[in-house]
Amino acid sequence: MDQTTVKKEIIVGMADLKVSKAPDIITTSLGSCIGVCLYSPTQKVGGILHLMMAYAGPAAQREGFKKAKFADTGIPELIHQLQAINSSGPKDYVAKIFGGGKILHGIVRNIGADNESAVRSILKDLGIRIVAARTGGGKGYRISLNLDTGKVSCRIFGAESEEF
Amino acid sequence: MTDRLKVDKALKLIAKLSIDKSSQVLSKMIKSGARIDLENVCVVDITEATEKVIGQSDQEVVGAFIDLVGDAPFKFLFYVNVADSLVLTDLILKREIGMTKIFDVYAQSAVQEMGNILSSAISNVFSSDFQISMAPTPPTVINDYASTVFTEYIMSVAVDKNEILIIESVFNIVATNIGCRMFILPVGESEKILSYVASTM
Repeated sequence: MDQTTVKKEIIVGMADLKVSKAPDIITTSLGSCIGVCLYSPTQKVGGILHLMMAYAGPAAQREGFKKAKFADTGIPELIHQLQAINSSGPKDYVAKIFGGGKILHGIVRNIGADNESAVRSILKDLGIRIVAARTGGGKGYRISLNLDTGKVSCRIFGAESEEF
Repeated sequence: MTDRLKVDKALKLIAKLSIDKSSQVLSKMIKSGARIDLENVCVVDITEATEKVIGQSDQEVVGAFIDLVGDAPFKFLFYVNVADSLVLTDLILKREIGMTKIFDVYAQSAVQEMGNILSSAISNVFSSDFQISMAPTPPTVINDYASTVFTEYIMSVAVDKNEILIIESVFNIVATNIGCRMFILPVGESEKILSYVASTM
């Protein structure tokens, strides 16, 4: 069998990002974290960033800093890694964003909403269009980006799966 | 022995004593043998730890989140899949297994109660065996994907660190074969306290 046609499911953990090409599928689970899916329809490449917080601030200077933990360092890194596997520029990508729920109700600060607002602002500054979003609520999300079609299957806990 | 090894040894001892105490209390309460095994005491990268859980199926679980506050703060998580939480409810309410059919307010209370029992048993070990004063907060119960429950738990301590020290236990209630998971995560100054415990060993 031709190795390039074997479909793989790639899992993205928290504070991480993964990129790949069609026909792979990239999957993650989200609570208050945000999943940023970038996809180039012409090149059929894409990736998911599973970020935890909005801005890195002084944490960016620390040893072992994880760029994918924060929106302001993770989104540029996602683009950088996508550019390493294809020739698309930032404006060739479309974005879909998911997650940002308020899972633990005892916590006053809504981290999910803060994350979403930062992601929207950063993508706007980079000139990347958000073509779909499903965010907020009080339950977890399971999302899978199909790199063949660019469609994201999103299942919120307790609800039917939806396609974006 | 290096400091790290000493801390690991102290943690394993605390974990073992906590688990023994939890087993005793639980077995007495439900009048059935509860076997709790210490599966892991290790330092893990947050990405690796969560990737493993996300990579598993979309298991539907009920989790109880509890903060152990005091001299050595810890975060505690107990979770069980929804089907098993129904059996657990019958055991705790001392009624025939199979009577609880749906996950309702009683099942939620049963998981909450399990969280209380286990976290109190752990607090007692800290107090009685190590003179470390600890008390559990009221549990927050969540019904969601196992991956969401676990990542939210990790998130609460991973804001300013990439590696976490995690104590994972798996336990079975023998008569019914219920499988549950229990985690304890040291936060803040806890590692200093553990170093102190290790230095006394």
